Order: sequence, then C-alpha cells, then structure tokens
Amino acid sequence: MDTQWPRWEVFKQDAPGKPHQAVGSVHAADPEHALLTARNVFARRPQAVSLWVVRAEEVFSWTKEEIAQDPALQGGATPARGLRPTSYLVFRKTSHKRSMTFVDHVGEVQACSPQEALREALARFRDAEGLAWWVVAAEKVHRSDPSQETVESWFAPAKEKTYKQQQYYTTVSASRPKRRGEDEAFGEGCAHC
Amino acid sequence: MPGRYGVPTDPDYQERLAEFEARIRRGEKIEPGDWMPEEYRRQLIRMISQHAHSEVVGMLPEGAWITRAPSLKRKLILIAKVQDEAGHGQYLYHAAETLGVRREEMLEALLSGRAKYSSIFNYPTLTWADIGTIGWLVDGAAIKNQTMLAQCSYGPYSRAMVRICAEETFHHKQGKEMVLLYAHGTPKQRAMAQDAINRWWWPALMMLGPHDKDSPNTEVLVRWGIKTKTNDQVRQEFINEHAPEILAAGLSIPDPELRYDEKSGNWLHGPINWEEFWQVVGGNGPMNKERLEARRRAHAEGAWVREALQAYAARQQRAVAV
Repeated sequence: MDTQWPRWEVFKQDAPGKPHQAVGSVHAADPEHALLTARNVFARRPQAVSLWVVRAEEVFSWTKEEIAQDPALQGGATPARGLRPTSYLVFRKTSHKRSMTFVDHVGEVQACSPQEALREALARFRDAEGLAWWVVAAEKVHRSDPSQETVESWFAPAKEKTYKQQQYYTTVSASRPKRRGEDEAFGEGCAHC
Repeated sequence: MPGRYGVPTDPDYQERLAEFEARIRRGEKIEPGDWMPEEYRRQLIRMISQHAHSEVVGMLPEGAWITRAPSLKRKLILIAKVQDEAGHGQYLYHAAETLGVRREEMLEALLSGRAKYSSIFNYPTLTWADIGTIGWLVDGAAIKNQTMLAQCSYGPYSRAMVRICAEETFHHKQGKEMVLLYAHGTPKQRAMAQDAINRWWWPALMMLGPHDKDSPNTEVLVRWGIKTKTNDQVRQEFINEHAPEILAAGLSIPDPELRYDEKSGNWLHGPINWEEFWQVVGGNGPMNKERLEARRRAHAEGAWVREALQAYAARQQRAVAV
C-alpha cells in the first residue's frame, strides 16, 4: 500500500470578518501542497477569501461529553510552572441542529499545553455552549497569503467561470425550442476556433 | 477507545442506543467523536466509500470526451464538471475518514476490485450526445439521491452532500441544455439524442438501487436517518421529473409500459431488467474491466508524482531543521 501523505484539516473563511470554519481535510506532502489541494477541493466556487491548514494530529479535539467525563478538563486554567505559554487557536461547534454548522474559529488563548488551552477556552468563551472544541498551537497553522494580490489570484478565477453556476442555464426549457444560432451547438464542430 | 463505537455487548449499549435514536428523532446531526452504534458506523463507511469511488470512476466515461468536445465552451464546461467529480470524491473520502477508516485502505479496496461503485459507470460513452445525457439523466438521478442524503443524520456526510448537490445542479442543467439543443436540432442531432436516451434510460433507473423489497439495508438505514427515502421513492421522483420533460422535448422513452397514473400522480414504469443490474454490479458489465484497468493505470502512472512530492517535502523539512 503506497502513501497517500499525511492528512491536514482545512479551515475556510468565506468573507472578511467571518470565522474560519473546519470544512474537511486533504492529504498532502507539505503545507504548500496542502493549501493548494485545499483550494482545489474546497474553493472551486466563489466563496472563499482565506484558507488555513493544520496537520490532523496537531488538532486536539474534545466533545462536550468527553469534557463532562473528565474533571481535570473543567474549572479554569492553572498554568504549569516553568513553561512559557504560547498561543493556541480555539475552535468551537455550537449546533448539531443543521448540516451546515461547523467547528468555527472563536479566538486565541495563551497556554502551556493543549489541555490548558482547552480549560482556558472553556472559561473564556462562555457566550454559547460548545458541543465540540478544537485547539491548535498557533505555530502549527499554515495560512494562505492574505495579500490582495494572492487573494485575487487564488480565489477570483472561481468567480469568472460563470458556466460553473447553475444560473448560467436558467433558460433551459424542454418544450420551447431555441432558434438556430442562439447557441454555438449548431455551428460547433471545430474545437480550435 | 474500546466500546466507543457501541457494540451490542457493551453494558450500557441499550441506554446509549436509546439516547442516540432520540437525538436522530429530534433531527440532530451525529458528529465525529459522538457515540454511535458500530453498525451505524459500518453502514456509513460502506455507503460513503462506495459513493466516493463512484465519483472517482465517474470521471472516466466523461473524461474520455474532453479532447473531442465540439467547441471550446463545451470543453471548458466538461473540464469543470470532471474536476468537480474529482473534488466530490475527495469530500467523500474525507467524510468516511472521520469514521476512522483511511483513504489508503479505501483506494486499495477500489483498485483491488473488492470495493463497489455505481453500476452506471460501467456503460460506455459512444457519442457526444451521451455526455449531455449523462448530465441530464445520470446526474439527475444522482441529485435525487444526494438531495435525500443531504438530510442524512451524519453531519460530515450531510455537509458533503449539500456542497455536492449545489455543484451537481450545474452538471444536470448543462446536460439538459445539451440534449434539448440536439432534440431541437438537425435530424442527425435528434437521432443522436434519441439513441443516447435509449441506452441510458434503464441504467439510470437501475443506478438508484434494487426495489425496496430486495434491499436488505434499507430498513436500518431509514431507522437511523442515514437515508430518509427508499430506493423506490427516489426512483419515482426521478421518473416524475424527467419523463414528462423528455417527452415534451419530442424524444421517446424506451419503455412501452410507461404511463401517467392520474390517481397517484406518478409516472409508472415497466419491469426493470434486474438480471442486467446484478450482472453489472457483479463485474460483468460492458466496461467493468476497462474502468478498473484505467484506474489502476492512472494510479501506477502517478506514482512518480507522489514520490517527487514526498521527496520535495522531505528536503524542505531538512532545510528547516538545519
């Protein structure tokens, strides 16, 4: 069995100001490859401005149930002595009601371990109940280049390919024949012009 | 974590199962990491991986026509469509991976011939009109099934289906547009469209699966909200939408018994040749061998690309380490 490369979790941001959301995963050899593959798999339609990728094993996740069963994970963070805290990104899922609800980026905490980052997050992000929590060390997150130029070249082409949108075909009706010349189909035959 | 996925011998299995089924009745999605019966997980892996394989193999009959598309516009559309199918395969492999199976294992099952994929892709694409007909009928049937699966109780599968349906709608419409143009075109174009409908109609009905009475998995799939409709219900929806449209376009349907039933509001079809279906599923369809060989060849010929990327990644890592 040959390698399919490591798995990376993909986080997609649909518009500026919206959270990055966990949309799925890709297999890739390195961060650059993962970002390119993520673009091809998750941003073929115009709905993205930024992508993040993280090696799957760098994502620490807990369900509400797992947290409830583990007293060590509850009640505010107690920083471990001697370790320097680093930044962790926190992601949370707050609804199981509908399909299109995701594990969303909610913010960043300083902590010495993923467990401590979770405790810190549970204390800090209390505006809604988390059904699932993910934490990732900030340094493990690889981000698509936010410069305007890259955003354009990565995500704008999807907008220009209007034939990939169903609205492009709105006039299709079974019983009303199109007149000759309305479409190139009648003149088609030369793939080179 | 033993017992996490719920086998009936677990001491608290009955209690957990009742809780799980209550969640599904409330319309909640089951997400990765949540407790689920082992049988739910097994059924999902089976369905999702077959679905993923179908997307991947589904690129072959259409990909064969990219170089022969009759205009630049049609070529762009077909390339985008085939690229979508590749992406759909990847969404679905991902959804299956959330259940603990690995993509390596799934691909190995496909390439070794152990895994199944949709029977429809074992039929040949003989003319350009087949490409339109695949979009209209085959993707049309697939969308009926996938719209139902978008309601699925398993979050990752349902999300993959929502995305896929949005993209498949383009596939369906471009196919319908192509067939209608031919149906209203020259006598030769009309004949091509009719010939394609004649060959694809029955396989499109079959691809929605055996009749409910012959589908042993249906009951548990419906009970756990993996499916929300049965094969026969989805097939009926497909016929009700497409039969009148095909007839309105001045084309005929190769089923002498097909008729509209005033009382039920359904288009009733004649008997389906299930012998043919089981032959194709069993590996004896017109293109089974060729499809599998094409997949194996592509995989083998891509080996150097995978190796090169691996070597590049290793070199980058060494550069960082130094």
